[in-house]
Amino acid sequence: MTGAPRPFFPGATRPPVSVIAALVLLVCVPLGRYAAPHPPERTVAAPWALPGGRYPLGTDALGRDVLSRVLAGGTQLLTVSLLAALAAAVCGTGLGLAAGWSGDRTARTVRALCDLLLAVPALVLALVLATALPGAAAVVVASVLAGAPLTARVVATQCAQLRGSGHVHAAVERGERTPAVLLYEVLPALRRLVAADAGLRLVTALQIAAALAVLGLGPQPPDPDWALMLSENLPGAALNPWALLAPAIPLAGCAWVFAAAARTAARAPGEGA
Amino acid sequence: MTLRTAGRALRPAGRAAVLAIAATAVVFTATELLPGDAGELRTAGRAAQEDVATERERLGLDRPAAVRYLDWLYGLIRGDLGHSLAGGRPVVTLFAERLPATVVLVAAALAVTALLAAAALTVTYLRGGRGGSAATGLAAVPQPVHAAVLGAVLAGLLGWLPPVSLLPPGGSPLADPRLLVLPALTLALPSAAFATVLLRGALGDVLRRPHVADARLRGLPAPLVLHRHVLPFLYVPVLQVTALLVGGLVAGTALAETLFGYPGTGQLLVSAVAVRDVPVIQAAALLPAVVLLLGMLLADLAARRTTVPGDPGPSVAAGRTV
Amino acid sequence: MTVHDHEESVPTGAPLLAAEGLTVRRALDGATVLPPVDVRVGPGQVLAVTGASGAGKSTLLRALLDVLPDGLQRASGTVRWRGVAVSPGRAARRWRRARCGWLAQDPGAALNPLWCVDRLIGEEFTGDAATRARRVEALMHRLGLPPALASRRAGELSGGQAQRVALARALCADPELLVLDEPTSALDRATADLVAEEVRSRRGIPGRCVVLVTHDARLAAELADRTLVLAGDARPASGADAAVRHTTCATAAVRGRMTSASWKEPLRPAADPAPPQTGRPPHTAADPAPPLVPVLSARGLTLRSPDGTPLLDAGDLDLPTGGWLAVTGRSGSGKTTLLHALVGRRPPAAGQLLLHGRSLPAGSRLRDRWMLRAVQLAGQDTVAELNPAHTVGRAVARPLKVFHGTTGTAGRERVRELLEAVGLPADLVDRRPAALSGGQRRRVVLARALAAGPDVLLLDEPTAGLDPDSARLILDLLDRLREDGPAVLTVTHDADTAARADRVLHLTGRCLTPRPHTIPDHTPDGRTEHSGVRPHDG
Repeated sequence: MTGAPRPFFPGATRPPVSVIAALVLLVCVPLGRYAAPHPPERTVAAPWALPGGRYPLGTDALGRDVLSRVLAGGTQLLTVSLLAALAAAVCGTGLGLAAGWSGDRTARTVRALCDLLLAVPALVLALVLATALPGAAAVVVASVLAGAPLTARVVATQCAQLRGSGHVHAAVERGERTPAVLLYEVLPALRRLVAADAGLRLVTALQIAAALAVLGLGPQPPDPDWALMLSENLPGAALNPWALLAPAIPLAGCAWVFAAAARTAARAPGEGA
Repeated sequence: MTLRTAGRALRPAGRAAVLAIAATAVVFTATELLPGDAGELRTAGRAAQEDVATERERLGLDRPAAVRYLDWLYGLIRGDLGHSLAGGRPVVTLFAERLPATVVLVAAALAVTALLAAAALTVTYLRGGRGGSAATGLAAVPQPVHAAVLGAVLAGLLGWLPPVSLLPPGGSPLADPRLLVLPALTLALPSAAFATVLLRGALGDVLRRPHVADARLRGLPAPLVLHRHVLPFLYVPVLQVTALLVGGLVAGTALAETLFGYPGTGQLLVSAVAVRDVPVIQAAALLPAVVLLLGMLLADLAARRTTVPGDPGPSVAAGRTV
Repeated sequence: MTVHDHEESVPTGAPLLAAEGLTVRRALDGATVLPPVDVRVGPGQVLAVTGASGAGKSTLLRALLDVLPDGLQRASGTVRWRGVAVSPGRAARRWRRARCGWLAQDPGAALNPLWCVDRLIGEEFTGDAATRARRVEALMHRLGLPPALASRRAGELSGGQAQRVALARALCADPELLVLDEPTSALDRATADLVAEEVRSRRGIPGRCVVLVTHDARLAAELADRTLVLAGDARPASGADAAVRHTTCATAAVRGRMTSASWKEPLRPAADPAPPQTGRPPHTAADPAPPLVPVLSARGLTLRSPDGTPLLDAGDLDLPTGGWLAVTGRSGSGKTTLLHALVGRRPPAAGQLLLHGRSLPAGSRLRDRWMLRAVQLAGQDTVAELNPAHTVGRAVARPLKVFHGTTGTAGRERVRELLEAVGLPADLVDRRPAALSGGQRRRVVLARALAAGPDVLLLDEPTAGLDPDSARLILDLLDRLREDGPAVLTVTHDADTAARADRVLHLTGRCLTPRPHTIPDHTPDGRTEHSGVRPHDG
């Protein structure tokens, strides 16, 4: 009991590396713009210059510094994805709690609504929405429409199970109101699930945002953006492959880390928000 | 008895039909009710207010949305998808030209997906249902990254393939199968990872069943346990996941075809979105939804034949392809 | 009856199955799960492995067959079959397939639900289809399975039928070694008899042997030629030999009996069905009701299970101030439902509840705060009872705030007092349930219920899942608490717990009947523990 501190979570055998990495990425990527050695939108050398000298990753089709563009290119992508994921998680969790708590009929209605929204693939939904909305808004709305039903489904199932557990009954039998029970008893017990699910929503949002940007429906050309750089530099794959790989690696890395963090959060006992 | 069987088959069919109609409503709502319509777009900034009004009247956009929706739905049922706003050709003709190329692409991608997923799942099975975090990560990586890396490596560094799959519209993609490789792999890699993630859960469920542990305990060799006591339980999840994947692959063609210049319906959708060609968008957006629903219906019907009443079977985790 | 081999400690001839120094360790931390054990089963012999739960019976069986679950590994020892070592891995698997018949603990669940009965039984029969069909038919006949069942799928069988099919499958290839894991625990009576009959019929047949794992010492004595007793304490120091383990075993048994006698003493007078509540004065001065009015009573209480099965017909129940009432009954008899009805979680089908002689509404939503406070339930499942996200302090502080408005420093002080009262160190307040042991969680649940300041404390199986020492501490604690606190009502199937109460009601056949005190039966361990063979003589 005294002396060396006991591990707080006896089940957790190793620190949640992926969760920490995900948080670090979310903080650091938006700051990358300030570390760029050259203005990312300006032509500084000949097009498709290979890595070397002042340009460690070479230049792109318009002779802009690839490293600077990569450092600056994650801000908008991550911000939009994060917003979209938050919106989807909040909507889905609210819907799921309501459905799970109120029992059969509402649950069936929510389920039908979810089935309906799941019938249209997310990318198609985003493309259709992009006809009428600006790219960022399309990403957010599509993420909510495509992701919230999944969140709602998972949360509703767990919430319905928790309804029968002792601590929730104890709260009800203390005379606590339903919103208080949901907010202070049910939601904290589901925090790992909700956190893990929010991670998955972030991955989906990132995928949608990247797809729209690649198709030219997101940020517009002079702006540095990882996904946009992919489509810009694909024709020069043979001339300077690094112009293509440099934005691909952080984009893939972010998605990979977020997915791994979500998986860890869902598994590690006691880990969560 | 036959009536009952028919009834049982009809219920999922009815459900799929309801969902299909609901999907048309979603697509229609998204394209029609959001701010900015085709009337403004076609005259984009160049015309006076009256011209916009005339244009809208000509296109029938001045009628209430519900009427236009029913009108569109009626046309859909008759096989009339309207005319493209850009160029004025019938939407059906546009699709007929490009559909074969997309079908070939999706079929190729599905075959590669099946091979990769089967290999990954076999490894998972031999490791007792554990491992495979790589699949989770790979499934999360956005599709453009798969496209870029494949392009950089296969076309750029190795120079084995042409970087773009330019194909005359209506030309057969089978004439030069090399053109298929990049878009098909781009589609197949993430979807194989996704299939592995989904089926790994179902496989784990089956492996945790007591009769599988019992079969191992009785000394049956691993391939026999797999064949006799595991695979029969996976037919239904595999069908469901396949349905989900085909829907996702058809949707994913939008990206793969555009990036590699492969002339299919996906590219048609993207170019239509760029010019806000609403009838084409509606049709192209419905295609993956209908494929997904049809696949789910088939999986549902097959599930009824291969499961025992009272046995829920392993579950496929909720998920979706982008 | 076959001839019984009386020279038990001397192995006769070459054993069919032999294992020397079989040791199992946990892979994670190297802790010994099964200390070195020797096993010998001669031709025609039946070996029974007994011991308390947790003694490692199943582990021993799985180590013998080389099917240890993940996380456990065979650290040392060899297994020999007819004198030839069976190495782990592929050789062991082939040996299992060719020589062993296996009946699992819950055999019905171990059948592939998609397969038909004849295919299930004949799965591993080697021989042509016609022979197999005859063999399956004969077995089904012998085990009382009607031939019409042959084309049924396993999912369509009743529990008893599925168990017989599993038995038939284990016997189908006429295995040389028959292995039975707790054959009677999940089986119905008739099937258990069939199993016993099969074991008996194999006794004495050369070239056949049986290994039987059971916690039922009587069954072991009845069927086995030799009995291997595993000590109850599965954590002996490394290198523990047979003598040491036997000693620990014996002392444990003695200690158990002594302690039970010592704390049984004061309750002895109540052993005759005397009226309860003799000489226990009311303690709470503020109690609004006179001592003769029960704190909580039920009149004409009718309970149904959620699916409509009647559980209790018009039962009456009185809980006097400061009293301790225990309700016993089989699992599924409706004990928990009774508690849920009293606390207002699931209103009863009919009947009236009285709190201090005043009517108490059936549903908790209809009760006012004073009524809610008065009746507190501490549930059985300590994992579900506590919110995994809340610290101990928060769980206990909440009722204080809701019912008494105690917050801030006063609240923290009171939380500390409560934790102290249930015997928990105060530095636990910042822990979450995942960082607590089962016994600690149970105390936190109690503290939370006490925080409300209840007049009646309802307890569902307060000692479930606890080892005997922790259970006794909890019961002692309850005894102390009611000295100047709430009346206690426990439902339990545990005789020790019921023995602590002033009065015991037995819920059976949809009636609540008073039952005299019975002294908990400690004897089976002591009587049969060492009747078998010394297991570690080699």
